[in-house]
This record gives sequence, C-alpha cells and structure tokens, in this order.
Amino acid sequence: MANIREIRERIASIQQILKITNAMYLISSSKLKKARKSLDATTPYFEKLQSTIESILEHTPHTRQTYFDRRQNVPENKRKKGYIVITADKGLCGSYNHNILRYTEQKLSDSPNPDNCYLFVMGHVGRMYFQNRMKTKKHAYVDGEFLYTTQNPTLYRAREIAEIVLEKFEKKELDEVHLIYTNMINSSQFEPKSVQLLPFSRRHLGKANDGTMKKLPKASFVPSPEEVMAYLIPNFAKGIIYGAMVEAFCCEQQARMTAMDSATNSAKDMIKDLSLLYNRARQATITQEITEVVGGANSLE
Amino acid sequence: MSKSFHLEIIASDRIFYKGDCEHLVITAIDGLLGIMYGHEPLVTSLPTGELKYMVDGKWHYAAISEGFIQVMPESSIILADSCELPEEIDIKRAEEARERAEEQLRQKQSIMEYYHTQAALNRAMNRLKISQKHFK
Repeated sequence: MANIREIRERIASIQQILKITNAMYLISSSKLKKARKSLDATTPYFEKLQSTIESILEHTPHTRQTYFDRRQNVPENKRKKGYIVITADKGLCGSYNHNILRYTEQKLSDSPNPDNCYLFVMGHVGRMYFQNRMKTKKHAYVDGEFLYTTQNPTLYRAREIAEIVLEKFEKKELDEVHLIYTNMINSSQFEPKSVQLLPFSRRHLGKANDGTMKKLPKASFVPSPEEVMAYLIPNFAKGIIYGAMVEAFCCEQQARMTAMDSATNSAKDMIKDLSLLYNRARQATITQEITEVVGGANSLE
Repeated sequence: MSKSFHLEIIASDRIFYKGDCEHLVITAIDGLLGIMYGHEPLVTSLPTGELKYMVDGKWHYAAISEGFIQVMPESSIILADSCELPEEIDIKRAEEARERAEEQLRQKQSIMEYYHTQAALNRAMNRLKISQKHFK
C-alpha cells in the first residue's frame, strides 16, 4: 500500500495542474467564441472570392500575365517551391500542430528536390520545429525573417504576407507558392489542407463536365485584362491568406479547448482514483492501529 | 422606376449588402462607372473610394477600400476589403490613422514603406471625406 503522504502530495499536485488546464480551457473557449465569430463573418467573403474569381477566369481571354506564368521551362527538380505554413504560436493544443507539421513533412518529401523548398512559417511552434530540423537535415530552407504570429488574424498582416510572396515570385526566387493550413470540416474535425496560390492556374477551371472548353461570352475588362489581373491576383492572394489565417486560428482554439477539456477530465478522474486509494490507505492504518491497541490491551489481561 | 438587378457587396468581415438595386455608381481605376440593369459583363478593380447605390429611388452611400467588381447583366458582385456606411465610420480612428500616416510620410522610408503609408493615408482620407460629405 502506497504511503499516505505520497498520495496526498500527488493529489495536491494534480489539483494544481487541474486549475491550470481548467483556466486554459476557459480562456480558449472565450477566444474560440471570438474566433468563431470572425470566421463566420469571413466565410461568405472567402467562398464568394473563390467562386467569383473562378467565374471571372472563365470569361478572361488568354493573357500573358506574370502570375499565370507556369514556367514550364524550369525542370521539375529545379523548381523553387514556397510553402506558407500556418501553425500555432503555442503548444498544448492536442494534435493540431502535429498534424500540420506532419502534413508539411510529407509535402516536402513528395517534392522531387527538398533542397529547393522554401518555407514561410507562421506561428512560433512551426518555426522552431523547422529551424531545428534545418540544423540537422539541411533540407528545406526556412525564411528566418518571416516573423508573423497567428494570433488574431488581421487583413493588414495578410496583405504583407501576400506582398512578400508575390514579390519573390515576380523576382523568380520562387516558381510555385502553396499555402498549407488547417481546414475546419465541422466543429470537431480538422484536416490539414494545401492550396496552390501561384502560378495562378485555371487547370480545373473553364472546362465543362464533358471535357470540352466552355464557350462563354468574354467579359470586358476596364481598363485592360492585364491591368485588372495585375490588381486582382494580389487581392485574391491576400483574401485567401486572410481566410486561411482566420480558419486556422479558429481550429487552433477549438483544438486547444478540446485538449484542455479532456486534460481537465482526466485530472478529475485521477484525483478520484487517488482519493479512493488515499482513503483506503488511511482506513488501513486506522484498522492497523486499532488492532494494535486491542492486541496490546488483550495481552495485559 | 427602372428595372432592378441583384447586387451583392461583400466585405472581408461581413456581408455589407445583398439585395436588389436599381442603379450603382462606383469609382473604378479611371473614373466613375454607372451600372444599371442589363449592363454588359464587366470586370474591373476598385481602388479606395466612394460607392453609391439606389434602392427604391433612394441613394445609399458607402466608403469602400480596395476590391473588385464583377458585373453580369442581371447581377453584380463587389468584393472588398472593407465597406462602411458614412454613419458607421469612426471619425476619431480615421483622424488618428491620417495623422499617423502623415507623420510617417515625413520620415525617410523605403519605397515599400512609402507605398504602404500612402495607401493607409488614402484609406483614412477617404473615410473622412465620405463621413463629412454624407453624415453631419
């Protein structure tokens, strides 16, 4: 039977942790409420943006715009791929970070030449992970100056990020840009997801179900398709990044809330088991003492 | 009353307007553009500026910052970073933003920073202008 004092100390320490996890649960649930609200506000924009861009592209005449440049002359193993990865700033949120990191790892190992991958990591956890990894394996370069938090996403931050990657793309420092974030399927299911930002492709667009090109009336562009596209695509990139940031932040809070809730529950379970053990041990010592007293009294007679 | 078309104005943080509209006037890159029912398909980008739309014979005004519009004969969609009614504009905040931007413009900056501050100044001025014009 375990020592009574030991058990008591254990219960005390679990109670301390329980307080912390419970506080974190409350904090993340209030943050989640806020994040959920901004997600609900952004979702119509995010969805409409994608569908509108798709329908605009269907009406777009072929343009030689830089953002459409697929750079087919660059061989597959020399293509410089950029990944914007959205992780959390802190740990303790269940498998949220783990999933997104593992997904990114897989993307990296899938690419023909991991040395040509450039990572733009948002959030402290992911940045630390990939920087450490760079020291040991020397694959995939992490941009050390790309310091952005994922807390409380703003449009301003999304704009800056979009500008950074678009500039790198224009300068041919990158040939492809992907965005990796956590997608919310429903309130308890998340899944890492990747979206190709650049080059802007309409591979999946403009084709009807029977595989033929749709003949749609060409819309007019004011002042010219090139100019509108040069404006539209940065705007689109910014919108997509913002939407992804909001969604990932919401997922993070949800994941943390679930994780902290289950931590609190298991702490409670542990306390329950331990107090049972404690009471039993206490009872055992009392019984033993009584037996001793009775035994002593008996021997006196 | 002229025939109306369906208009959707969606800002990044909310749905600003969704419904019928008879006449829409936007500020495009090179000037004002009026849109009514049956306009030819058109796509253009909208810089920071003013927007007005007529519902039931009454004009509504709004301040809009950076976005684009897709016009179809029977419907139009505007997607913008932000869109506000004149009475919703926080004058104090816009005033502060303007002062901050002006202060920054006096400093030496890189070209990139210069563009950023200029855009910020533009947004602040636009807000102030529209709120002064339509909301007293």
